[in-house]
Amino acid sequence: MFRNRRDFPGHEKPRNEGEVIALTDLVEGEKGVIVKAVGGFGLVRRLAEMGLTPGVEVKIVKKGSFGGPVEVEVRGVALALGRGVASRVLVKPVKDERHD
Amino acid sequence: MTKQLRVALAGNANVGKSAIFNQLTGLNQIVGNWPGKTVERAEGTLHFKGYTIRVIDLPGIYSLSTFSIEEVVSRDYIAVEKPDVIINVVDASALERNLYFTLQLLELEAPVVMALNQVDFAAKKGIRINADKLSEMLGVPVIPTVAITGSGINELLKAVIAVASGEKKLKPLKFQFGAEVEERVQKIQKLVEHKLPHLCMVYPARWIAVKLLEKDEDVVGKLKNYEGGAEVLEYAEKLAAELEKIHGEPSPVILASERYSIASKIAKEVAFMETPPRISLEQKLDAVTMHKIVGYPVLAMVIAVMFTTIFVGGNYLSEGLNLFFQGAIQYIESLLSRFLPNLAVTLICKGVLDGLIAGITIALPYIVPFYILLALLEDSGYLPRAAFLMDNLMHKMGLHGKAFIPLILGYGCSVPACIGCRIMETERERLIAAFAVTLIPCAARTVVILGLVGRFVGLHAALALYAFDLILVFILGRVAFKVLPGEPVGLIMEIPPYKKPSLKVVLTKTWSRTKDFVYIAFPIIVAGSLAIAALEVTGFIGYVAAGAKPLVSGWLGLPEAAGIPLIFGVLRKELALILLSEVIPLESLSAVQKIVFTLVSMIYIPCVATIAALLREFGWKKALIITVVDVALALFIGGLAYRLLLLFMS
Repeated sequence: MFRNRRDFPGHEKPRNEGEVIALTDLVEGEKGVIVKAVGGFGLVRRLAEMGLTPGVEVKIVKKGSFGGPVEVEVRGVALALGRGVASRVLVKPVKDERHD
Repeated sequence: MTKQLRVALAGNANVGKSAIFNQLTGLNQIVGNWPGKTVERAEGTLHFKGYTIRVIDLPGIYSLSTFSIEEVVSRDYIAVEKPDVIINVVDASALERNLYFTLQLLELEAPVVMALNQVDFAAKKGIRINADKLSEMLGVPVIPTVAITGSGINELLKAVIAVASGEKKLKPLKFQFGAEVEERVQKIQKLVEHKLPHLCMVYPARWIAVKLLEKDEDVVGKLKNYEGGAEVLEYAEKLAAELEKIHGEPSPVILASERYSIASKIAKEVAFMETPPRISLEQKLDAVTMHKIVGYPVLAMVIAVMFTTIFVGGNYLSEGLNLFFQGAIQYIESLLSRFLPNLAVTLICKGVLDGLIAGITIALPYIVPFYILLALLEDSGYLPRAAFLMDNLMHKMGLHGKAFIPLILGYGCSVPACIGCRIMETERERLIAAFAVTLIPCAARTVVILGLVGRFVGLHAALALYAFDLILVFILGRVAFKVLPGEPVGLIMEIPPYKKPSLKVVLTKTWSRTKDFVYIAFPIIVAGSLAIAALEVTGFIGYVAAGAKPLVSGWLGLPEAAGIPLIFGVLRKELALILLSEVIPLESLSAVQKIVFTLVSMIYIPCVATIAALLREFGWKKALIITVVDVALALFIGGLAYRLLLLFMS
């Protein structure tokens, strides 16, 4: 049912300060600043057009079960990204007191 | 004499564009497709202050690039057809993202009037927008509207006319990119103006330059047809490469970032957070409908309610109408036979009238409730949530979450399901989804499955057929996914806030779509049934049956007489079973024969109405390919099953 260990709440991958990670590695409620998107020309462009440009802050609202999509909030809009798409977006986690 | 105006509505999806369109045009609208495209085209007219205004509702899009067919259609319309005014409908609660699109309209130098919509909803979220300041910054009129109630629509029309008549001069914002980008845009622009004067008559030179720097496939393609285009292209590629080297990003990403930073700056200047947003009803709704576990039973319930409404309601309607028309047709038949020769009576009654009645009693009772529910789902915002839940499963067959909706509808009726495939983004995905839909047993095929196999062989065999069909759909979906050219699209979808659906929007959508379906499908249904009636009357059906004998008895192992019911099943699937019971006592068939007959009816192209729907959505070529593949598949699997089942069951 859980494809990755990190899909279990409380089993997040240990991470270092300032490390760049995939958007899917953030947990629900966590925020990150986009560093870049890796992937085909079409995908990267589409992500940018939907507001997922380098430097912008995104928040993970929800992660779908069974390796489903993730819901993110960016520029005041809620977007659903397929798990494959989201894993290609690299972010720098933002420290948020509530999650420490 | 009245003055004519052409106005286009443009903007993001889910901003209330249809609601504005409905407020403007009422029932005076025609829904169709853009020529050769599976993109809905809605057009209407209204009269205002001595003007006759033709309004066209462009598809809801996020950008004017070439990602989806919708974007290409919209861009071409705005740039080439040059409507007098573009009403840019903007969601006040998501200004930044909406302004990204507005900036692209300004790049195209389109005459824009902005409808700042859903200001009431934004206010609820604690967002207030200074429309005057926004208007000043963009250099175009900005009219706050609430489309659902019609507030602001009059002012919007006044602004449109003021702009169109030249009474109000636009001073559209000419925004500049950052120095590195701007410098290159201007260099390319100079060359474009010099080398491609003809192209500059259609598109603004600066816009061409920006698009070239962005490596826009469509513009690059256009340039190749122009003398001197290659030189410009080469130069633009060089500059784009320089830019990419500086930023370490593909050039379209750099330009998108620049536009967003301008949009963000403007939004920050004009939008104020008055009160911090509270946890709203919709957030509570989302907590349930998108919940990791609870979301699925909720989805199942929504589908169950939809099905029950469509099929119970549809059945009642269908039976009632059928009863009425059967009586009517007998009366007409007896009436006509007094004046006309038998042949003509049969052709009119069995051909034309039977076809018409099949359309009215089979297609419409299911399609109209479907259209109502689809519009409700579209308007309320539930559709994207269902797609969110089902994305992962749909990926297994090469599609993404949204495809779930048409597939589920396919269990009811293939016709609305095929039309429902247009919620997918690209032609490729629409085609894969539609192909899968034609293989899913609809209600009429369920009649055959349950009535023949379920009743005589056993429920377990019927269920096994359903399971087999599902596996088949998954395998063939994957095959189509591999075979069809094009890049698969992952899910990138907005999840709009929940909204109370507007009855007016739902009903006008239903009415326009039904009208469109009747115009397209009915002639095809009537022609098909006329052709079959002609075969019957002339006795050719006997030859056809004899010709089909090697296939029917030799390959499928069915009695020769089973051929004709299979042919007639094209009109309506349950007819195959009804006719079969008329030519052969059903009990006399062996279990294997029953299963084979059901398998073939289940897989071969649903019915003439579905072919009409495919034709309507994809054009005759693709409709023909799907039809031929389905029929060949049915025969192949039928014959194979006959041989395998004989081995196991005897």
